[in-house]
Amino acid sequence: MNAIAYCFVKAMESEPRAIARGLRRRDPDLLDRLIEQYQHRLLRYLVYLAGNRELAEDLFQETWIRVLERGHQYDGKHEFSTWLYAVARNLTIDYLRKKSPLSLDGLMEDEEHAPLEPADTRPMAWEVVQQHEQAERISAALVSIPAEYRETVVLRFQEGLALEEIATVTGAKLGTVKSRLYRGLNMLMPRLKGAQA
Amino acid sequence: MTRDVHDEARELIVLGESLSDARRAWLRAHLDECEACLHYAEAVNGAVRTLRSLPFAADSRLVRATQMRVRFHASRLRETRERLWLVGLACLAVGLSATLTVPLLWRLFAWMGESAGVSSWVWQAGFAFFWIVPALLVSAVLLARGSHLTGNGEKQWR
Repeated sequence: MNAIAYCFVKAMESEPRAIARGLRRRDPDLLDRLIEQYQHRLLRYLVYLAGNRELAEDLFQETWIRVLERGHQYDGKHEFSTWLYAVARNLTIDYLRKKSPLSLDGLMEDEEHAPLEPADTRPMAWEVVQQHEQAERISAALVSIPAEYRETVVLRFQEGLALEEIATVTGAKLGTVKSRLYRGLNMLMPRLKGAQA
Repeated sequence: MTRDVHDEARELIVLGESLSDARRAWLRAHLDECEACLHYAEAVNGAVRTLRSLPFAADSRLVRATQMRVRFHASRLRETRERLWLVGLACLAVGLSATLTVPLLWRLFAWMGESAGVSSWVWQAGFAFFWIVPALLVSAVLLARGSHLTGNGEKQWR
């Protein structure tokens, strides 16, 4: 029993290293699997970061191209998702800076905030309407707070990243992450009231 | 109690899971006696539940398109790498053949110079010209084309 547990733990430990090895080889099957595995999480993060679904979908594709090109830079010592979010974040900031030299937040405010599409779980019609309205309200609340706070809140409470991982992704100090999380959630709570079930 | 204590408690509520046992015990004790902070904690839990309830799905077409694009780009990168490997191999072959042929060519030019009765600097200049000009021409052509290493397909995605 202990041997099975040991093998399981070893397998869990070596997952990032196996990914790192595959990325160095530019293994297309591994990339297919990673795209499948992280599709929802990455796209959700990009939608909230960019504030626009269409742009987020373009950035989603570009992120994976960059993962392919720069996969050798992933060392396998950290979670792959942390590195992936950092790649996506840098790409988004580069894109938004090229588009306009204004601040990231200002650019995001200018974007049309497309409502998020609910997952296709085939519920009843009234449930679809309810889900859609709920998603719209949460989405509207999220995009109404500044980008750096929104990003921290999304990474913490939707993507489930630890504070240290958020600091790695955003390149901010741990104290800054804590402060953004606290302020962001305080800004968000009154706006979320209407969306709470 | 001062306002700072409440602020501290609320920060701990938001930061959540990474608290030490002592901090957790302190927070629990504070929440037992402070109704406002208890309400705040409930509001935070509600907000987090709401955020986590947001359904979100990527379009399967987007996933398929991304996978295809990544595979195509990977094959382009592989072709570029193979081309670079061939260029490297060609450079090695040229270097080896040059090492072997330069002494022979030098003697050939010297013999032709002596036969023609020209001074040594003339046949030596001829040898240098013969040796350098083809490489310069090839370099100029490759630079003029510009795309010998990148391949044409890359531009389709930009």
